[in-house]
Amino acid sequence: MGPYDSSISPAAGSSNSSSSACSSSTKPPPPDQMDHLLAGAGYKVRSNDLNQVAERLQHLETVMVKSSPVDISELVNDAVYYNPTDLVSWVDSLLTELNTNVTVPEPVPVNTDLSDLHQFPSDMNVYGSNHAPEMHGEFSQQAVTPLEEDISIRLVHVLMTCAEAVQRGDLPLASLLIDDLQALLGRVNSGCGIGKVGSFFVDALSQRVVNSPQNGVVQVELSAYENEILYHHYYEACPYLKFAHFTANQAILEAFDGQDCVHVIDFNLMQGLQWPALIQALALRPGGQPLLRLTGIGPPSNDGRDSLREIGLKLAELARSVNVRFAFRGVAASRLDDVKPWMLQVSPKEAVAVNSIMQLHKLLGPGGPHGPPIDLVLDWIRDLNPRILMVVEQESNHNQPEFLDRFTESLYYYSTMFDSLDACTAQPEKSLSELYIQREICNVVCCEGSARVERHEPLVRWRGRLTSAGFAPLHLGSNAFKQARMLLTLFSAEGYSVEENEGCLTLGWHSRSLIAASAWQSIPKPSPATTGG
Amino acid sequence: MAGSNEINANEAKKVVPLHTWILISNFKLAYNILRRPDGTFNRELAEFLDRKVAANTVPVDGVYSFDIVDRATSLLNRIYRCAPPDTDSGRQPGAGILELENPLSTTEIVPVIIFFHGGSFTHSSANSAIYDTFCRRLTALINGVVVSVNYRRSPEHRYPCAYEDGWEALKWVHSRSWLLSGKNPKVHVYLAGDSSGGNIAHHVAVRAAESGVEVLGNILLHPLFGGEERKESENKLDGKYFVRVQDRDWYWRAFLPEGEDRDHPACNIFGPHGIDLKGVKFPKSLVVVAGLDLVQDWQLAYVRGLEEAEQQVKLLFLKKATIGFYFLPNNEHFYTLMDEIKSFVTS
Repeated sequence: MGPYDSSISPAAGSSNSSSSACSSSTKPPPPDQMDHLLAGAGYKVRSNDLNQVAERLQHLETVMVKSSPVDISELVNDAVYYNPTDLVSWVDSLLTELNTNVTVPEPVPVNTDLSDLHQFPSDMNVYGSNHAPEMHGEFSQQAVTPLEEDISIRLVHVLMTCAEAVQRGDLPLASLLIDDLQALLGRVNSGCGIGKVGSFFVDALSQRVVNSPQNGVVQVELSAYENEILYHHYYEACPYLKFAHFTANQAILEAFDGQDCVHVIDFNLMQGLQWPALIQALALRPGGQPLLRLTGIGPPSNDGRDSLREIGLKLAELARSVNVRFAFRGVAASRLDDVKPWMLQVSPKEAVAVNSIMQLHKLLGPGGPHGPPIDLVLDWIRDLNPRILMVVEQESNHNQPEFLDRFTESLYYYSTMFDSLDACTAQPEKSLSELYIQREICNVVCCEGSARVERHEPLVRWRGRLTSAGFAPLHLGSNAFKQARMLLTLFSAEGYSVEENEGCLTLGWHSRSLIAASAWQSIPKPSPATTGG
Repeated sequence: MAGSNEINANEAKKVVPLHTWILISNFKLAYNILRRPDGTFNRELAEFLDRKVAANTVPVDGVYSFDIVDRATSLLNRIYRCAPPDTDSGRQPGAGILELENPLSTTEIVPVIIFFHGGSFTHSSANSAIYDTFCRRLTALINGVVVSVNYRRSPEHRYPCAYEDGWEALKWVHSRSWLLSGKNPKVHVYLAGDSSGGNIAHHVAVRAAESGVEVLGNILLHPLFGGEERKESENKLDGKYFVRVQDRDWYWRAFLPEGEDRDHPACNIFGPHGIDLKGVKFPKSLVVVAGLDLVQDWQLAYVRGLEEAEQQVKLLFLKKATIGFYFLPNNEHFYTLMDEIKSFVTS
């Protein structure tokens, strides 16, 4: 018997206990119930699987004892692991890894009478996994002097108060507060930190107050050329886009393994910066190169150039130089939901990869007569039956219905992003990359309705959406993680961090994730013929 | 030997609840893989495996958290605070951040615990799930503030990096106007840590005492100390309850300056190169020793050393506790510990 018998009185109020193992209880927990205690440690294990996990762990230890430490660490260096949150599969993958390489005699039968062990009924105030919708809170402080620090704190306070006034429709107060904010901005270092990002938010707020607080403003459209310049500087100044491209390419390569005809559909071709690396990787692929088709979607040109075609030609040039058979097609569409699947000309014998880097959130706006745009698009993506749908999105909730919530969330998000930019030293590229970000901020803060396209949502929500839409996760593993970390060492700024999040990877600044990358495959729709008897 | 390994597994399973056994065993086995025999550490895989948790300004069970990076040092501190009693979860999420303008209280004393997470100087972070969970419990318990320090780890950053980061964190905490409390406002600081965190807390307290910076108390949860000598507990308990002496040795080799042995004063506090604390204004200490921890003889020697230096120290000896008993609230030691900590910071 365990040591805690005397202390256990099956507590009357323990109806919520997911792991109650009081000796008097005979009812097992519902099959899918996740263990509450281990959830607080970051692991997802079904209550019913606890004993099994314990047995596997013990078996694993037996196997490890028989291996030399050198063998273990060498094995581990080459192996790829996925989703450590799923404790059962993690332990099993280790067992598989070690078992295939170590001859293990039959495990000595052990008295695994774990049912002897009692646990306390979990009816106490334990921090569980039922988070309120997650709000990340990171507020990076300003520069050196305590006075400036105080002013920064004050600045944030007044920004929030002003946003609250805007939400309430109290425009006179909001205007006064904006004057206060301008004054405060004058007293901080506007070259970095809260001074810089603060000025963008003050700017956005004042635009909203002056123009049309309820209906929002419409942002001035830039020319395609201007957009490209800003995008390019953002790409160079910080690792977020590079991380997105890099991680996506890795996953796409894996999904294309063994396939001779592959077709990548890029939801936002821009300057095609993602594709040279993929083309080169395919050129070097052991087992031979596939035929690569690339379909690039982008807005119709507003300046007379056919930029889609130009990029396509450049990529074709590169592909030719490394002997990869390549075909390009440009699809001009101002919105993703204007794209019709037939435009993509997908052939049934090709392996399809759909690549969406910061595009899906634009479909979360108000829907048309046919329903929410996101549902329509996810539906036709599924119809294409892609081997992989790669989704990279901003890791933040800028799509909440209440203005103040969006404002608060974006203030912290972009403060963090600007902090990370501050730490990168390349000067000339920085101001244009800041302008790129500023336009995003403006869209989140000033715009409403269909003009507000920057409707970022966090990974946890995308998971839900994609799962409901008929997609299953493809986990990104420790190899992608390792390579992403190596990419980061190319940046002088220490502070960027890659994290593994239940099979997805995030890139952030210190402990705050800013970009999340996830991979999905479509679950084929049930064919009508199979229903019924 | 195969046979003795099974005996050891059974020993541990008899004294810890199932969940704890699973949790600590999982760490043990993963850590075995991460430590390389040549003294290097598989940091990539370690970070991949570490389950991390984001800060959350929305109160959960009455506690919310946010991260601040100290620009001067690039050190991350995670701050945990209790939500004001009339806050409901649905209120504006920025609520916590606004409190950076006011002191914690102008009438009451609110304890601030600077917490150094464990991990033998090598593993875990302030945002590791197990430590985030623990700090939240601690915050609710003391009804105060916990500041969890993300100090630099070995083997990439050896002695004295962790101590320097701890010292910077202490100075940082003391200089936050929003951590003041009491009628004569000051920051009421305690230092706390488990395993290597406890070791760090001790050294930061020493430096604080030498520099005239106030620390009201030290809470050391099975702190990591050691020495060249093999103590009886090390021999008796080697490999029995999740930890082997050889593991401990590896971590000391990774932390101490190259070429140094375990009698280095970082490790062997009152040993041959140890410090004399007599007459030093050292904070009162609560030292918690797990009776099944092979390091206990070193921890008991530490307690004796403090007593001999006429410092105030309380020993909480939990006979049947193993390392990590405080990660899950499923055993009596956990509750005993919580009660002791609470009275320690309120007395």
